[in-house]
Amino acid sequence: MNALNWWLLLSFLLFCIGAFGVLARRNIILVVMSLEIMLNAVNIALVAIANFRGGAAAGAGTLFALFIIVLAAAEVTVGLAIVIANYRNKRTVQTDTYDELKG
Amino acid sequence: MPGGDFHPWFFVIVAAWVLVCGLGVVLFKKIMYSAVSMVFCFLGVAFAYALLNAPLVAIIQILVYVGAISIVIIFAIMLTEVQSGKMELFFNRQTAAAAVVALVGAAVLAAVALSADIGRIGDKSLTPGLRQLSRLIFDRYVFPFELVSLVLVAAMIGAIVLATRERERP
Repeated sequence: MNALNWWLLLSFLLFCIGAFGVLARRNIILVVMSLEIMLNAVNIALVAIANFRGGAAAGAGTLFALFIIVLAAAEVTVGLAIVIANYRNKRTVQTDTYDELKG
Repeated sequence: MPGGDFHPWFFVIVAAWVLVCGLGVVLFKKIMYSAVSMVFCFLGVAFAYALLNAPLVAIIQILVYVGAISIVIIFAIMLTEVQSGKMELFFNRQTAAAAVVALVGAAVLAAVALSADIGRIGDKSLTPGLRQLSRLIFDRYVFPFELVSLVLVAAMIGAIVLATRERERP
């Protein structure tokens, strides 16, 4: 068994923890936080593979991790702006009250 | 256990830290506790990057996640309501199903991760240095790099437009 297996195990377990948070929590901000945890888990896998594979994959993996960090920052700003705008209208952050598009 | 140029126990400590803090984020009732737990989780992930010989990613992680994203999230928490009360207010109706999905997924993924034959790779680090990395960013991946900056500008303008209250016209 390689060292990479253990790092991938850590990444996958963290991803499942984040997925549970996204599926089970009611507060929309906590859903965003769980999403960030999932992105971090993916980043751990990318950096670990980049670290152990070498070659052309190494630089690409590290750069992908950096791009994901930047895009996560953009995502969290826009997401939380939507949350704040929605909170101003509805005075709540519970996910099950966001049902205007239900039809 | 991963070894290389650090003791295997470092991996155990970092992994336990990250997983316990991640569990804290999804399980704490008070959202402020979750936010603090999230900050420590991000810090642990930065240590994981440091162990993986990616100091640049570790530093960016601390700057962007621990520095910026956490602050934005804590601001959002303080601008919105604080809940207290029964468990049903914090976990929705599909919590049991979500727990089953997460546990089964974790079991399957753990089996995959531990049994996967990744090939002939050693414990040695092959991460490129800062010089090679910057050469990659500004040469081969310069187009995605510029696209990312465009996305950042768009996100910034979008966030400002969304979050500012519409002014009443005189």
